[in-house]
Parts: sequence; structure tokens; C-alpha cells
Amino acid sequence: MVGGSAAVPAVARGPGAWALWGTVALGFGTLLGSIGLALAGDELVRPGLQAFLFNWITIPYLISGTLAWWRRPDSRLGPLMIATAFVMALTALQWSSVPALHTLGHLLDMVPSAMFLHVFLAYPTGQLETRPRRILVAAAYTNVVILQLAKILLGGNPDSLLAITSQPALAARIEQMQLIAMSVLLLAGVVLLLVRRPAGRRRPVTLLVDTFGLALVMLAILYIAGLRGWPQIEVVRHVTFAAVGLAPVAFLLGLLDSRLARTDVGALLMELRAHPTSDLREPLARALHDPSLILAYWLPDYGTWADPDGHAVSLRGPEDGRATRLIRRDNEPVIALEFDRSLQDERELLDAVVAAAGIALENNRLQVELRARLLELQGSRARVVDAGQKERQRLERNLHDGAQQRLVALALELQLIARSSSKDPETTARLLKAKHEVTASLDELRDVARGIHPAVLTGHGLSVALETLAVQAAVPVELDVAVDGRLPERIEVAAYYVVSESLTNIGKHAKATAASVRVTRSEDAVVVEVVDDGIGGADTERGTGLRGLADRVEAVGGRLRIWSPAGRGTRLEAELPCE
Amino acid sequence: MRVAIAEDSVLLREGVTRILSDAGLDVVAAYDNADDLLRYVRSFPPEVAILDIRLPPTHNDEGMRAALRIREQHPGVGVLVLSQYLELGLAMQLLSESAEGVGYLLKDRISDVDDFVAAVRRVAGGGSAVDPKIVSTLLKRRRGDDPLAVLTPREREALELMATGASNQGIADALTITLRAAEKYVSGIFTKLGIPTTRNESRRVLAVLLYLRA
Repeated sequence: MVGGSAAVPAVARGPGAWALWGTVALGFGTLLGSIGLALAGDELVRPGLQAFLFNWITIPYLISGTLAWWRRPDSRLGPLMIATAFVMALTALQWSSVPALHTLGHLLDMVPSAMFLHVFLAYPTGQLETRPRRILVAAAYTNVVILQLAKILLGGNPDSLLAITSQPALAARIEQMQLIAMSVLLLAGVVLLLVRRPAGRRRPVTLLVDTFGLALVMLAILYIAGLRGWPQIEVVRHVTFAAVGLAPVAFLLGLLDSRLARTDVGALLMELRAHPTSDLREPLARALHDPSLILAYWLPDYGTWADPDGHAVSLRGPEDGRATRLIRRDNEPVIALEFDRSLQDERELLDAVVAAAGIALENNRLQVELRARLLELQGSRARVVDAGQKERQRLERNLHDGAQQRLVALALELQLIARSSSKDPETTARLLKAKHEVTASLDELRDVARGIHPAVLTGHGLSVALETLAVQAAVPVELDVAVDGRLPERIEVAAYYVVSESLTNIGKHAKATAASVRVTRSEDAVVVEVVDDGIGGADTERGTGLRGLADRVEAVGGRLRIWSPAGRGTRLEAELPCE
Repeated sequence: MRVAIAEDSVLLREGVTRILSDAGLDVVAAYDNADDLLRYVRSFPPEVAILDIRLPPTHNDEGMRAALRIREQHPGVGVLVLSQYLELGLAMQLLSESAEGVGYLLKDRISDVDDFVAAVRRVAGGGSAVDPKIVSTLLKRRRGDDPLAVLTPREREALELMATGASNQGIADALTITLRAAEKYVSGIFTKLGIPTTRNESRRVLAVLLYLRA
């Protein structure tokens, strides 16, 4: 689990402005000195080019080192690069005719190559993290210091003040050994670099690793060329210097890239805003410039991390070249970002991306909550309608089984009494009148009960129920019900009321001469369409009839649309979801 | 004449039994549910079965299903359906194959004892009985150009009677005219409306209803 690695490391205090500018000034001073020495001395073949290449290496190291020191004070890489630039500059002293300076310059001659190796293997933290790397760099330093010293003591360089004896053959032998060993160490460094270059890492990192590898290979070739006395050694030297100088340029590009990346955070925020529910990983990976980014979701109930599909995953750490950041809410982890370790340096970028992701997550959460509430609301609305519907059915049943049956029985009884009292015409007439009243109330009761709930709908479905509505309508109605079998009850009821209300409205307001009712079924909906040729001008916002109808349709998750241009009839369409 | 009844309201079941018995019909079975009636009809087919359209257990479509089943399996048994509501769709469903030996009446009709008994007899004898309210609703129905406008008021009355299932004699009795005059009305109506004539009185009920509904 991540735990500690997620915590933001304590911020190291960066160098002050004085230290930075001092370093830069001192660095350039040293460089100017070295150029002066190169141009003044007589040792160099093409002093101008030599000085240029020399500075092609030192200046980028100085600038990149200073920038790295400033931007990433907690990484030792910056100071290491600055030191490399200075040592490199000091080696120019060997072109001096002053013996002491020449001696120092020559003593340091090989040190930069070990420092290059050190820088490359220590990227990006400035620390040598694995044992092989530490051993390799230690061996390189030993080589460039001890063997160089031994070579000089034995008189390898007659101009050096340190030459205590003159055994040129032995010195040459040591130099041979030194160059071979250094070549091997450099090539081993290349191997270590490439081992840690899996596909899918961040682009700037891959570029850097490739540049580092190239520089080390060229250095090794340079030494072998020197050893074998190749005639083209000067060309090799120039190419090598160019390659070594490329590394800090690539490093600068990397820094620039993370700057650019930070400007992408703005775009990230916009994108997350525009597509709040879309996959979070893609935009985050783009903003971080890390295609290997992995998102893991914390499952508090299981106490484990899971991928977006819900499978448990464990987060990898520095030993796998990975690092993690947590997005928290209320001090609880929500999402972990697992990314390429080199990103760990770009703290501002990470902070910005994590903040953006946090906002997006919060938005998502709010949206989910909103949707849940909406669903809840729709559910309770549907339940209210259903409950009302149940109540209506119950009322109708009570009327049907109670009052209506009793009234029929009462009418029958009155009729039978009237018949048996035929000897008294007045009584008979009154009884028949009473019976007539009962039948009239039965008619009224029937209309009331049918208005409360059309029982035929429950028993026999929409098509049968609509037939009665159509023949009783105030205008001729063309009825077309293209629905096979029964539909869910709430849909039948809603469709029935759409037709019922519409036909009533047409009778009351439309001044129509004809109407048509069409019920069709699509894959996921039932569509009820009622059209008349009346005066139009119907509006859901005016009058309660259409508004109530819209409410009813919306309560079952449907949609009511009305086209009612003045003078050109009305077309009402209810779409009722029905799988 | 043997009659079997299925009606879940005790009041009405007893009322119907009483008026039919008083009229000399033989009520051989009276149940409160459709299954018992179906079982009885299967064993001892009566001349006519009278069913409430809403019967237990759900009061949805049990009565209607039982009626259609009897129609299908016992064509010799007349079926008279009683309903609290006027549902044209159900009436047409019941009559869809033929109107022979079928009736659809509102429950109110029971109290018009003589008419009711006559309807029961008619259905038992292979005739038909359509509630006058259904017919009047169909006649009142609004149409673009009313084809019934060509009929005289008397012809309209005759048409209405014909649609309820009345025989020529029934029409003659109701309009207090001679049988010959009634027959003349009937053929006149058929000619004016362009309905194919048929001598069968039940078949012409369906023809007229379909014409009115169209």
C-alpha cells in the first residue's frame, strides 16, 4: 500500500538568489578563462573549435544544473551538474603554460567522464539508487582519480609537477588499462540505463535516457579510439563532445516539457468540465505526459484498491520505477494516481493535476448525487401516481360491487312490486317513476365510476377501452391502435388518460370537425398521438387540463409534446417509455 | 328452457333467478364464479348461460373469457353477458364471429323484466341481444357526413330495433305495425344504406353494428 509515499515530502529550501547568480557568474568566469587559455596556448590544433565544443558541454551543464537546483532544490542533481560544469571547466587549465595550473588541469582530465556517468545514473533524484549504480560510479571515480594519479606520478606527463619518476612505458601501460576500464564502465552504465527504460514511459524521460546512453557510448568510443591511436580521433572527440553536451539540452527540454505540461492543466480542467463523466484516466495521462498512468479507486468496504473494472490491484512503488499520489476527500483516500517515477520531481505539475482531478471527482460525485436524487424524485412521483391509481381502482371496485349492484337490485325490486300492484294504477305509476329515478342515478353513477377508473382497461386493455372513448367522443374519431397484447398497467392508464383528456379538450375547445387517435409501439416506447383539425392555440402552460396531462405523462417518465399553431389544428404526442 | 347463471353479487343472482323462474324458465345452476359455470356447461349444456362480465377472483376478465370459451366450445349454448359498463369494444369482441346466440346487456336491463326475459329467450333460441344503449350510442355517434340522414324517423327506429337483435316480428310489435310492413322497412333500410341483405336475423345484427361502427 502507498501510505508514506503519498505524503508530500518536506520542501527543501532552495538556493538564494545570491547563490544562484554567484554560481552563474563564477561559471561564466571560469568558462571565459578556459577560452582565453585555449586561444593563448599552443597545444591545441584548432583552438577556436576546441573552445566552442568545450563550452558546448559546460554551458548547458551550468545552466541546466542551476535551473535544476533552483526548481528542484530537494534533488542533488542540480549541484551535481554544476559541479560537473566546474570540473569540466577546470580541465581547461591543462592548456595553461603555468606549471601549477597545468598540473591541476591535467590531474582532473578524466574526472568529468566519471561525473557524466554519475549525473546520468543519478537522474532524476540526484541519488544513485541501486547498488550496481553505486558500485559503477565508485569504480569510475577510482579509475579517474587513482589511475590518473598513478599515471602522472610515473611520469606519464613530463610537464606535470607531480611526475616523480620517469617510467613512460609503465605509465603508458596504466593509461591503457585506465582507458579500457573506463570504456567498460561507461558501457556498463549504458546497460544500467537501458534496463530501466521500459516502453510506455514518459516521452521526455525516454528521450533523456537515449541521450545519456548515446553520450556514454561516445565517451567509450573516444577512449578506445585514443587507445588504438585512430587517425580520426579528433572527429570522434568532436562527436563525443557534441553528444555529451546534448544530455543537458535534453534535460532542459524535459524541464520545458513539464512547464508545458503545467499549461495543459488548464486544458485538463476545461476537458473535465466539458465531459464530467468521461473516463478520468485519459485526460490525466495526457496532462501528465505519462501514458503509463494508472488510476486505482479506494474501496473502503474492502480496504483495497481497485481498477476501474473493480478488480483489486496493488500500487507499485519506487522499486518498480513508479510513484503514487492520492486524491483525498474528507481525509479518506478516493483515487490513487500511479505514475512514472520521474514525475515525482514535477511537484507543481502533480499538485495541479491532482487538484484538477479532485475538482472533477467532486463534480462527478455531485452529479451522481444529483442523479440519484432525481431518480428518487421520479420514483416517488411515480409512486404517488401509482398510489392514486390504486386508490381510484379501489373506489371503482367499491362502487361497482356495492352501490351499483344494489341500485340494479333496487330497480328490479321496484319493477316487480309495480307489476304485482297492477290493480292500483297510481301506485304502479309512482313505483315505475321511482324505478326510473334509480335507473337514471345508475347512469350517472356509471359515468362517475368510469371516470374514476375505466375497469375495462384493467380487464381488457387499451384497445378495447379506447374504442368506447372514440365512439362517445364529440367529433368523429378515427382510431388506430397498433399495439399487440397488454402493456404495463401504468402505461395503459397514462395512454388512456392522454386520449380521454385530449378528446374532452377537443370537444370543449378545439371546434374541430374530426380527430384521429393513433397508438404505436416502438422498441422502447409507446407513442400516443391525437390530432384534430380545430382552431389550435392549445398550450400546456394555460389551463390545468393539458398541464395535468403533462404531469401524468412525466410521472411515468414520458414526454408530452404539443403542436398547436393558431388556426391549424392541434397535434398532441405523448411518448411513454415502455421496454 | 334450461338456464345457467354465473353472477357474484348475491342480490342480482337471486333477482335474475327469481324473474326467470317466474317467467317459466328453468334455472338449473347459479354460481358466483366462472369456473363452476364452465364445469357445469361442459357436463350439462343448458340452452343459455348468463354471465357477469366481472367475476372472481380478479374481477378483470374472467367472465368475458368464460363467455368466449363457451362460444367456442359449445356453439349450441347461448351466451348472455351482463355488464355494469357499456363497452362497445367488448360487445364487438363477443359478436366478432357471429351474433347467433349471443347477447351483451347492461345490468340495468334486468329491471326491465319483460325485455330481459325476452332477450334471454332470444339468445337461447340462437338469436341475439345487444343493449339498446350501445345501439343508441352508435346511432348518436358523430360522423363527417351522416349516412343515416337518408332514413325516415320510422326507419331509424326500425334500424335501432334491428341492431338490438329484434326479429321482424319484434320490430312489428314494437312499432305496432304489421309483420309485412316491418319486413318492408327492413329491406328498405338495407337498400338505402347499401348493406348486403341477409334473411338471417342474427347475421343482420352484426352487419348493422359493423355498419354503424365503421
